[in-house]
Amino acid sequence: MQDQFIKMDSITKIYPPDTIALDDVDLVVEEGEIHSIIGENGAGKSTLMKVLYGMTPPSGGEISFRGRRTRFSTPREAVAAGIGMVHQEFMLIPSYTVYENVILGAESVGRFGTLRHDDAKPKVQELVDTYGLNIDIDSRISDLSVGAQQKVEILKLLYRDVDVLIMDEPTAALTPQEAGELFTRLKSLNEAGKTIIFISHKLDEVLELSDRITVMRKGKRVTTVDNRGLDKAELARAMVGRDVVFSIKKTPASPEEVVFEARSLGYIDANGATRLKDVSFDVRRGEIVGIAGVEGNGQYELVQLVTGLLPAQSGRVFIGGHDVTDEDVMQRRKLMCYVPQDRKVSGSAQSMSLVDNAIMTHHRLNPEIEDRWKALLSSGRCRAFASRLVEDFGVLAPQLDAPISSLSGGNQQKVVVGREFMLDTDFILLDQPTRGLDVGSIEYVQQEVVRRRDAGAGCLLISADLDELFSLSDRILVMARGRIVAELRPEATTREEIGEYMLGAKEAQKAWRAGKEVGR
Amino acid sequence: MKKQLLPAIIGIVVALLAGLIILWAQGYPPLQSYAALFSYSLFSRFAFFSTLDKATPLILTGLSAAVGFGSNCVNLGQPGQFLIGAMAVTAFGIAVDLPAAIMIPLSILVALAAGACWSGIAAGLRRRFNMDEFITTLMLNFIADYFTLYLISGPMLDTKMYSPLTPMTNSGAWLPIWNGFGSAFLVAVAAFAVVSVLWNRSKIGYEWRAMGQNPIFSRTGGCRNDAAYVWAMLLSGALAGLAGGLMIMGGMQHRFVKGIGANYAWDGVMIAIVANNNILATGLYALFFSVLQTGAMGMELETSVPSEFSLVLQAIVVLFVVASRESTRMLMNNIAAEMRMKRARGRDKGMGDGRRASNG
Repeated sequence: MQDQFIKMDSITKIYPPDTIALDDVDLVVEEGEIHSIIGENGAGKSTLMKVLYGMTPPSGGEISFRGRRTRFSTPREAVAAGIGMVHQEFMLIPSYTVYENVILGAESVGRFGTLRHDDAKPKVQELVDTYGLNIDIDSRISDLSVGAQQKVEILKLLYRDVDVLIMDEPTAALTPQEAGELFTRLKSLNEAGKTIIFISHKLDEVLELSDRITVMRKGKRVTTVDNRGLDKAELARAMVGRDVVFSIKKTPASPEEVVFEARSLGYIDANGATRLKDVSFDVRRGEIVGIAGVEGNGQYELVQLVTGLLPAQSGRVFIGGHDVTDEDVMQRRKLMCYVPQDRKVSGSAQSMSLVDNAIMTHHRLNPEIEDRWKALLSSGRCRAFASRLVEDFGVLAPQLDAPISSLSGGNQQKVVVGREFMLDTDFILLDQPTRGLDVGSIEYVQQEVVRRRDAGAGCLLISADLDELFSLSDRILVMARGRIVAELRPEATTREEIGEYMLGAKEAQKAWRAGKEVGR
Repeated sequence: MKKQLLPAIIGIVVALLAGLIILWAQGYPPLQSYAALFSYSLFSRFAFFSTLDKATPLILTGLSAAVGFGSNCVNLGQPGQFLIGAMAVTAFGIAVDLPAAIMIPLSILVALAAGACWSGIAAGLRRRFNMDEFITTLMLNFIADYFTLYLISGPMLDTKMYSPLTPMTNSGAWLPIWNGFGSAFLVAVAAFAVVSVLWNRSKIGYEWRAMGQNPIFSRTGGCRNDAAYVWAMLLSGALAGLAGGLMIMGGMQHRFVKGIGANYAWDGVMIAIVANNNILATGLYALFFSVLQTGAMGMELETSVPSEFSLVLQAIVVLFVVASRESTRMLMNNIAAEMRMKRARGRDKGMGDGRRASNG
């Protein structure tokens, strides 16, 4: 057998104290193939590729590229050798043009270090034409869509003549249309001779695109298979380690009275940019309302205004019939639970114990954990409360007093969700409640949300994951550029339609307005 | 707490050993010096009571820093708050003459209030103009320093004396000394008890701790961080002010002398850092450092080791405790990682074969 193109042998990576990110992983990538690496969040896909790309030093194992033993100590070396990686977060300078971003770090320089600004323009333009990237190289990054920025990242690597393109979850921030376009592009790059390593946790994408698929689970390689006649369910089982329910069971909603109402909310940020404009909608008891949209289209501001973390500028917020616009966070919390989107930043204090994390908000609102003297908390009752949470929400926790960081991500999220649901309010705000969780925990959290809905709570769900929105929501609102541009029913719409609304805000909004007026 | 104890003990033992080597290298008798150090700080009634006297301000300035740092308020104004507290008690004790039963509690309140006012200025500047308390508290130290110096060399100067100091306060404000035991220590212990309950058990204490660990988390959870910040600053200042006030009320001097603050405030900051802002540990380290400082005098007397050696010892303790806290944690983590790795490997060997067989 000839030398393998990329060969990774027994790669191990341990993050102290005891996180084994990669456990003895072997991987072979052949020249000219599209090789997908699939696995849940935390399976080690990205870490494996960062090891290859020289971003993360491995704890053990060997790598060879084109038959020679290598170990890149920086990404720069990897790129020079012909391996490039496009990360989930783009590394572009927003105020520079496409061209400037592409040549940055590889500029053509005159004798005294002077920049020969336009030297490489023909080459960059030629690349754009050859690969049909269809972007104007003189436009500014800040004016481009996420999909176009991704093209720039790819262009950057093509300019540096890489032969291997590693794409880390490239579709995460894209609309379905943009994702389709990306696939076409990757296929044509592949036909032009580039080897592509595609990291994803979405089965459909991987099945559509790849020649071979490597499945990873919990830091180990489970299997590598040719993509011929593969069954989705089988792949899912390999990925998760058990049978997977693709959508959770849920009866049709029976909405009752309005429990939450946003009335023409607007927000202009410190830079004078309009982040929210005239956003009005309501949530009824017994229904789940989903908000779809590309991230950064006003969802963040909406959540901040609903929770009271940002002061309102215009419009009103009503919860359970009360006007809470001028009330602070704690007063609103009497009426709402809130699962924030980033459990490490806003959902918990990682260095505090499970008990201390469990009693947040309850410490002011829940008389159950008070001491006889009202200004004090009873440590015994706090512990009892925390152990009830652990039991009711199935948290796997070794000790109540250990820092919450000693729990797995899924269990931490269960603590956060449990804490919020134990506030037992009629309105629930969920901001990306399952992001970064494993499939088992996602299922659990989603079922818990449906259970709350069935118990009569009104839920507002903000999610970047269309699958989640489709399986949970009873109504889907689409946000684009700070406005709500459409209201759709999941059973009567498609991902593509939602994608169109997410992108083409203007036409869509007209249609929606017209529809509303007809409705009246 | 248990996890903190080990690095603390390791740090202290290693520091004492290092001190031993330094003493030996300098040509002093190391064991004899240490014997003197401890016998002059612990092993006689007088020595022990002097250690407690010394510990009194250290406990309070240490608590002041721990409460501040632990709630994410970088109050570095302990020196100023200390001086203002001491000055306020002096002025109050000179101006007012009442029986001790009234005078003592009132003086304590005056000290607390004066310290809180001084840190309150910084808190107000933060709230109103978003000025960093890290800078403002430091600057306020200079103001307090020169303001009190002005008072004791001008308006409040005791004209019968030849150096800048104030007259004595009225005797009602003096804390009793029983057989050499200064009752100021009891005030510090009471303050310690109150702070410890506030910090560990009260609702506001919980908010301080949460704010100290992750202010975004506490804000998202509905805590009023702005209010909690102001209260933490006020408490922190009040404790430093009380430390200063007790310097006037306790001991024998009962007057404000130039240099009265010595290094108590910065020692308190250091103690809080070594204690990692833990309240109980702050109390214990305050006692330990006062043992070193008190014993150093005796050591100088017996073996002519300069008393500044206690500074060297203190510095080594700080370095080793703080360093060993991190390094023992990392070491333990790495050991745990290795063990898990081995266990996982061992388990796999058994299962992996079966898996491969079924795949093939």
